[in-house]
Amino acid sequence: MVTNLLTLALPKGKLGQDALQLLQAAGLPVEGVATEARQLTFTFPAPGIRYLICRPTDVPTYVEYGAADLGIVGKDTLAEAGADVFELVDLGFGYCRFVVAAPRERWEEAGRSLENLLAGSRRVATKFPRVAASFFQERGLPVEIIKLHGNIELAPRAGLADLIVDIVSTGRTLKENDLVEVAPIFPSTARLIANRVSYRINYRRLTSVVEALKRAAVQGGEKIATTN
Amino acid sequence: MASNLPLQLPAGVSDLLPPEAAALRQLEQRLLNCFRSWGYQEVMTPTFEFATTFQAGSQAGEEGALYKFIDRQGRVLALRPEMTAPIARLVATSLRRRELPLRLGYSARVFRYEEPQAGRRREFHQAGVELIGAGGVAGDVEIIALAVESLVQAGLEDFRLGLGQVAVTKGVLQDLALPPEAVAGIKSALASKDLVALERIYDEYHLEGERRRRLELLATIHGGREALEEARACFGRTAAAASLAELSRVWEALGAAGLEKWLFIDLGILRDFDYYTGIVFEGYVPGLGAPVCGGGRYDGLLAQFGYPCPATGFALGLERVLLARGETASACPGGYLVAGRDLAALLKRARELRSKGTAVVLDGESRSRQEAAARAAARGLNLEWIGE
Repeated sequence: MVTNLLTLALPKGKLGQDALQLLQAAGLPVEGVATEARQLTFTFPAPGIRYLICRPTDVPTYVEYGAADLGIVGKDTLAEAGADVFELVDLGFGYCRFVVAAPRERWEEAGRSLENLLAGSRRVATKFPRVAASFFQERGLPVEIIKLHGNIELAPRAGLADLIVDIVSTGRTLKENDLVEVAPIFPSTARLIANRVSYRINYRRLTSVVEALKRAAVQGGEKIATTN
Repeated sequence: MASNLPLQLPAGVSDLLPPEAAALRQLEQRLLNCFRSWGYQEVMTPTFEFATTFQAGSQAGEEGALYKFIDRQGRVLALRPEMTAPIARLVATSLRRRELPLRLGYSARVFRYEEPQAGRRREFHQAGVELIGAGGVAGDVEIIALAVESLVQAGLEDFRLGLGQVAVTKGVLQDLALPPEAVAGIKSALASKDLVALERIYDEYHLEGERRRRLELLATIHGGREALEEARACFGRTAAAASLAELSRVWEALGAAGLEKWLFIDLGILRDFDYYTGIVFEGYVPGLGAPVCGGGRYDGLLAQFGYPCPATGFALGLERVLLARGETASACPGGYLVAGRDLAALLKRARELRSKGTAVVLDGESRSRQEAAARAAARGLNLEWIGE
């Protein structure tokens, strides 16, 4: 597929809306673009830009295969996808954290130690098996990972798992389900990613967009800092 | 119809049907001819060897990527994940007393236990060359010029070859005198172009001002001659100066030979950082998400086989080249359908036609000229009916 358009993959949902604001701040065309509409591609021939609206988990795939030159995606999704793409800019929005959480009672019984907690129980439910496996592997803790597709907090209640690995932003869901964070894994924000070939051969064009987004992200960060 | 035989293939491997097989074979022949015309002789090595041979090589030989099995003496064998390590072994043993430099080429299937994704397969074809015993600029120029010609011969028109120099990065890192864990972090982030992780490391180790700027430039310098000048202005007085001067000489020579339009400089191209020692390069085609070829200087490998000498080379991924070309060979091979009822006469006539170099398909089943004519037309062949 040889085209003169620069293709940017955007995620549906809240992250996509934040991404659109950033594009606008960076002076890129956003007129009529919506991440929640039926229309899935938006083309602006004059500046030569096209947006693809994808499921967040598919953004790394579009970029890895070169169907999109650039993409905006959460670090959480990116880490789980394990895609071979270039990670260019931390865009700052969409903050959340990967954590290991356990039922409060169990945590207290284990004397607040992850090793103790894992001595008798080792089933971990998660939507992010790759992230979870690498966290426990690095610490030499053998666990059994159970992949679920949502509502992870239900698993310990139902006796399916002893621990969960999930993303939290405010921690309210954990609290409501009487779960406590027992170990942080890493924080996540939205990232600008690039296809490795496209980045090399369309360097100038990509760089102008990348720099504009970077500047907008830094300014956005400062705005938040001053309003806080 | 129920069958107990598995009808599916494992992930990451595939069959090639006649047009695809023909296209691949044709490409392979063109590349081997091209290598031969540069004085590179073809070698073949075993499909499997002791796993340790491959582990001495690049990332492709890493534990997780090898298909391993055990022979009856309990030794660990592996399918070859690439050809450079086996050729290094071959040179260090059977070809040890030959005069250097050695010019060797190959075309082979290789096997890697990787997640099948974005043009990565578990079995694929590589064609490439190794130039062993030629250090310095002359060897680099020859190999890069040959890489360009190979891509042209492969039928790619719109490709670019990006040149990097890992010794520049190594020199700059050495000058900064950072703790080993910081160096390891920077190397891994540079290699995967994780600019976000790099920023984190710069902050963590308080890399400011000139030191930080140097590292940032390493990851971002890109372009033609002006990029080299920018790099020399920045790194001219560091441990990287000599290797940068080498890169400039290679660039000048290739440019003067008219190859500049295919080339660009990108110091961010590192490939397998610990394996390569000098100039590295990758070939890119628009629209294809992964490089079609890659290579570089690996002066440390032969020493691992007890025969220290400089070496450089590259390999092309044949499936990726075919994917980038996007066409398939013609499905109709052409030729004759020789039909009739007298089988002996058919064989005789077919032999005559074949001796003139055309392909001949036998047809002893058609009962009439009309029937044979229909068969010939369906296959795009010329009919020759023997009999009345």
